[in-house]
Amino acid sequence: MRDKIQAALRSSKADYTEIRLQEGEATTIVYRGKDLETASAVIDVGGIVRCLCRGGGWGVSTFNDRDDLLTKVEQACQSAQVVQSEEPIELAPIPVSEARITVALKHDFRGISMAEKKALSEEYNNILLRRSNKIVDTTAIYQDAFSRVVFANSEGTFIEEERPMITVYLIAVARDGDNVQTASESVSGQAGFDFAQGRHELAQAAAQRAVNLLSAETVVGGQYTVVVNPRLAGVFVHEAFGHLSESDFVYENPRAQEMMSMGRRFGRDLLTVFDDGSLPGLRGTHKYDDEGTLTGRSDLIKDGILVGRLHSRETAAKMGEKPTGNARATGYRYAPIVRMTNTAIEGGTTSFEDILGEIKLGVYACDAYGGQTELESFSFSSAYAYMIRDGQVAEMVRDVILAGNLFTTLMNIDAIGSDFEWSHSGGRCGKGQGGLPVTFGAPHIRIQKVVIGGK
Amino acid sequence: MDILKQLLSEADQAEIVHVHGESTTVGFEANRLKRSQVEETTGIALRVVKDGRLGFAASSDETATERLVTNVLESATYGDEVRLAFPAPQSAPKVTTFDPVISELSIPRMVKIGQEIIELILEVEADAQVNVDLTRGVDHLSITNQAGTEVSFDRSPLSVSFDISRIKGDDVLMMFGVVGMTVWDEDYLAPVRRLCAQLELAKQSTSIQSGRMPVLFAPTGALVLGLPLMLGLNGKNVYRGISPMARKLGQRLFDDKITVVDDPTLDGKFSSASYDDEGVPHRRNVLVERGVLKSFIYGLKTAAQSGVESTGNGSRSLFSPPSPSPTNLIFEAGETPLADMIAGIDQGLLVQNALGLGQGNVISGAFSNSLSLAYKIEKGEIVGRVKDVSISGNVYDLLQQVAAVSRETEWVYSSFRLPYVLLSDMNVIAKE
Ligand SMILES: [Zn+2]
Repeated sequence: MRDKIQAALRSSKADYTEIRLQEGEATTIVYRGKDLETASAVIDVGGIVRCLCRGGGWGVSTFNDRDDLLTKVEQACQSAQVVQSEEPIELAPIPVSEARITVALKHDFRGISMAEKKALSEEYNNILLRRSNKIVDTTAIYQDAFSRVVFANSEGTFIEEERPMITVYLIAVARDGDNVQTASESVSGQAGFDFAQGRHELAQAAAQRAVNLLSAETVVGGQYTVVVNPRLAGVFVHEAFGHLSESDFVYENPRAQEMMSMGRRFGRDLLTVFDDGSLPGLRGTHKYDDEGTLTGRSDLIKDGILVGRLHSRETAAKMGEKPTGNARATGYRYAPIVRMTNTAIEGGTTSFEDILGEIKLGVYACDAYGGQTELESFSFSSAYAYMIRDGQVAEMVRDVILAGNLFTTLMNIDAIGSDFEWSHSGGRCGKGQGGLPVTFGAPHIRIQKVVIGGK
Repeated sequence: MDILKQLLSEADQAEIVHVHGESTTVGFEANRLKRSQVEETTGIALRVVKDGRLGFAASSDETATERLVTNVLESATYGDEVRLAFPAPQSAPKVTTFDPVISELSIPRMVKIGQEIIELILEVEADAQVNVDLTRGVDHLSITNQAGTEVSFDRSPLSVSFDISRIKGDDVLMMFGVVGMTVWDEDYLAPVRRLCAQLELAKQSTSIQSGRMPVLFAPTGALVLGLPLMLGLNGKNVYRGISPMARKLGQRLFDDKITVVDDPTLDGKFSSASYDDEGVPHRRNVLVERGVLKSFIYGLKTAAQSGVESTGNGSRSLFSPPSPSPTNLIFEAGETPLADMIAGIDQGLLVQNALGLGQGNVISGAFSNSLSLAYKIEKGEIVGRVKDVSISGNVYDLLQQVAAVSRETEWVYSSFRLPYVLLSDMNVIAKE
């Protein structure tokens, strides 16, 4: 295959050419309610050629049939020539790399029978179902995927990488008359079958929470001091702030650059936010990104000040900065775009008790249950929440939706916990190309003056 | 078909689906043409029923048939017990979904359309950053099963999506639109013009006080009301007991101004076709008629589980088994002209776009959305954009009394046709 790839690269008439081929298999087991809905294995192979022509633009060809790479390169070149750009696209230089990244899974899921995977999902599903007669519906998903990705470009880089991913996703739906409540738990990682085993407590937690939510009151809308748990804080910083740090948002847009100008104060001194694609074991981790750039840590906010942003080779060249290893693609159907990897609010020094401190009346919002942002406006649902009364976590409440303006909300973060954690639930980012594995990290944080919708 | 024979030597029923697609995309970023992409897709998906159990497998490697056959039979060994029968040949309505004007649309012409869209928008808002993606393709799907069904059809989808952002200091406006068709429509710029009109209106900003007031949902905003119903009408959620509409067939659940139809038989629409993805003929299904719940939507499996017939709503992508999904979802037009609806509002809100669609406990009917684009209506006129406003409520309560439904409807997000809907008394929360 290597010879074929290199011959195809040599045949290209473009100024820059890259080829990424992928082959993989995935097993999915889905229980819904009492029924086994799916027990399937799929095979997915395909590839992408991307060419850049000076004076032209990007030309891309994607395909399933990998036999005729020469034709695909020609197609991509022709596509690139169709595009006539006034300003030539440049790529920031990166070192040529040669690497072969293999994984040794302790308990490789490819050697496990479908019967065993089904049995595990069934165990979890049974826990969900049997927790209470109020549970009317459940979902228990087991999924594993193993793919091999080869990336090569016309500069001489050649990288082969194995990418495993295993996920357990559990949902319980409880119902009492017209009152229907949902709770979910999940874990996901680049790991073996053992990672999916022994997760019974997650099933217990999801089922119990769905039932508990039935008797929780809807929160009374208003402005509150809010304490956010690590999982929700991590999703918040990814969605509401992180996407603005992706340079494809600012590189062609002077007004967006003004909004995101380096040195602007985004938070108080205690706030530090970073992205790091090189941390072992996390979902967003790879040694190289999908352009062959080494990944690493990028500080985005340091001590409250905006200090960095995330780049692909194209955005880095355009802005005169260095590539950060954040060009990522959701599979072979897509050219890489600027994406986050593992993004976090750095841990602070305050204990959880001190964060609750003197809050007379507040809300403790836990886990994300969907969220959306449009630049400076955001809206997040928390999966479950509690009132805080006189510095104590009190009764459970539901339908807590945090909405507001990003800039004022970041400035209103006034305490950062010492209990930093990476979330091992299966975080996915939906920007542009759909779900790409990422990880969210954060400690507990406290935010003043958050508007919460409710009744 | 030797795969079929091979499968039937071990299984009682078998289905083979081939997909083949080719598409071409041109993409504009920040008002400039940036990339061009060609895409070729092939794949094969198998289902079998063996000893009453259903198996599924798929591959995008068409040469890997042996492993695929092994996988589908293994899947059936552990698969779901379901009394499902793949359909025998049935005649279907003739629906036009292929148009050579689209399949042969030249790249220069696509580029020209993209430029037209950007120019239209920049005329209204010179500082806007516009991204446009145009994709035209040819999709071929063939379905063969042991009952003798051999269905194959070609579609020529064209989709044009555009998003606009306009930043002034920390003030941001973002808008998004998508047009989809399978037969060329000369009036392809109409949705862009509507968006431009909205941009024009958004130039004026004003404020609004929290409180109860009439709220007028534009077609894009009406999805706030439509999404919960779409989930509730899905036979899968009914079977699973989580739809609030379960066991309420024949009951009056909504105001009689509400009629909801799923219609895949319309020529040239984005989600139209003669057959569904399981070889079941498509048909027009009235789901809610003048407020009365008439039908849910089903595919073969959910229908079998529920003891009813498939409504022809089996929908699939290569790597997932079929599951019920609406096609072109239509909220029928009402009798009131839009101009009269606006003229009749003394103080109210026009909801154009909501943030957080589909988040939260949507199926329960409860929603709480902040609004990314909304206007204040004062003394019968739209007076300007209001920011930091949110609405909340429950669709199942609110739609019991609808003040008016407009005569005008619009296709939004390719597969929805919605009118303007006026609710006379809703809670609006504005930040002071
Ligand atoms: Zn994201």
